[in-house]
Amino acid sequence: MTVDTLPDRRRAPRRASAPSELDRNPIPSGARPVLVLNDVSKTYPNGRKALEEVDLVIPEGDFVFLVGPSGAGKSTLMKLLIRDELATEGTVLLDGEDLAKLPRRRVPKVRRKVGIVFQDYKLLHMKTVRENIAFALEVTGTRRARIGPAVERAMALVGLTGAADQYPHQLSGGEQQRTAIARALVHDPRIIIADEPTGNLDPLISWEIINLLLRINELGVTVLMATHDAEVVSALRKRVVALEDGHVMRDEVGGAYHRRG
Amino acid sequence: MFSFLAFSLSRAWQSFWRNAAMSLAATATMTLMLLLLSGFWIVQAGLLAGLDFVEQKVQVVADLTDDATPSAVQALEARINAMPEVAEVDYVSKAEALQRFQATRAAQGEADLTPFLATNPLPASLEIRLRQPDDFGVVTDALRGDPIVQRVKNIADLAAKVTTVTDFLRNAGLALLAVIGAIVLFIVINTIRLAVVGRAEEIEIMRLVGASDAFIRWPFVFEGAMVGLLGAALTLGVLGAAADPLGHLMFDFFRVLPISIGAIAQDVGLLVLGTGLGLGVLGAWISVRTYLIR
Repeated sequence: MTVDTLPDRRRAPRRASAPSELDRNPIPSGARPVLVLNDVSKTYPNGRKALEEVDLVIPEGDFVFLVGPSGAGKSTLMKLLIRDELATEGTVLLDGEDLAKLPRRRVPKVRRKVGIVFQDYKLLHMKTVRENIAFALEVTGTRRARIGPAVERAMALVGLTGAADQYPHQLSGGEQQRTAIARALVHDPRIIIADEPTGNLDPLISWEIINLLLRINELGVTVLMATHDAEVVSALRKRVVALEDGHVMRDEVGGAYHRRG
Repeated sequence: MFSFLAFSLSRAWQSFWRNAAMSLAATATMTLMLLLLSGFWIVQAGLLAGLDFVEQKVQVVADLTDDATPSAVQALEARINAMPEVAEVDYVSKAEALQRFQATRAAQGEADLTPFLATNPLPASLEIRLRQPDDFGVVTDALRGDPIVQRVKNIADLAAKVTTVTDFLRNAGLALLAVIGAIVLFIVINTIRLAVVGRAEEIEIMRLVGASDAFIRWPFVFEGAMVGLLGAALTLGVLGAAADPLGHLMFDFFRVLPISIGAIAQDVGLLVLGTGLGLGVLGAWISVRTYLIR
């Protein structure tokens, strides 16, 4: 499978800001892309090719499902977006900045534009819900006076104000994941990247989390969610990007989890 | 800047006590290692003082002829004193030589037979202390040429033996100290690294939410400094408590040595504080490096 099989629109523009080419994107025209992957390949030092010639444009305010079997390259893609790994070829632009050309000391600043949510929540067990959320601001040097209000706002948004002083082990899985989402949100990121956020949760709670992400998306935050949850993807009819063997097999708005026909 | 310092210090303090078992283990290791190091340092200092003392004993003695005039003796003394290898020249008159002989006999508990002598048979002499014990050859040669010098006592063998032994002991002591220093460094760094690995998850989260290197590194460095300073304080406390009995022991042992406990105490204090602080900071710095943005 090569890039030839891809629909024309994902021949991503050489210049992310060129509006004439962006107009050909099915997403509302004129929206500024938060994320642009241009002809991106990633080969690990051991020779494994995780991604090959991937083109992807995610405009501001989009909600995108990233689907595909294990080993298809979803995790690698996520790592590229937070500059945990660098692309072997091609460019990754996050909010207009080329991650490969980013000087080391600028990396933390760019990471603050991304809110990350994991399947295993990654909460600190010694800290309460409030402290876990505040932690993201404290370690980035936010003024104390601004931390309190921002944390309260994030907790209210995910509906956790009542559990503010509880420790993670006192919470249900859904509440833990909502804490993690609040932590991802508290920076006012441009994009939320969620890696299998419902992977450890039962279907009912999963829907709670999805609805929360949808609400956050309605507030204008771009969301990219990797998932195996076919039911959720097919029901929501959002944009679906399907990866397989490191290639984008499908990129359609209103798509189902599985290829139609 | 101030809020960054406050953040780092308070986080260092918090995490030191939240992981009390790990932190105290690191502190205990640090204390033991510093005790080991300072113990060897003290032994080494005593050894060096002893060696200096022994080397000072190496001196060139030139017996003078009985008919040497005072002015000739003075001229010779001045000439030898001007040599760069020479630290000090002492003139021992015939009378002083006799007194010393009598004093030695008395100390050995032997009867003093000198009153039965008609004349004083002992020669006057020049005792020359050298800056470096191995320079004896040059000084001996200079003395031999002088007409008022009766003979120069042959100290070649003694000097060579003493310098061989003292050089060996010095180098062995330094090597041992270096080896112990390296072991201490290794163990302390590993202990601190364990403490850092215990919080790998926290560091990972800090990285992901966009904490800069400084925010990740400095709390750990301060914590390392805390471990180092606390370890140093404990070490100095133990040494302080042991100083008195140890001092008496040392005094008995090194009675003859011009060794001062005060001077060693200051050196050891600086050594322990500096090593503790340095090791703590270095250990934390190295341990946290692996987790920073690549």
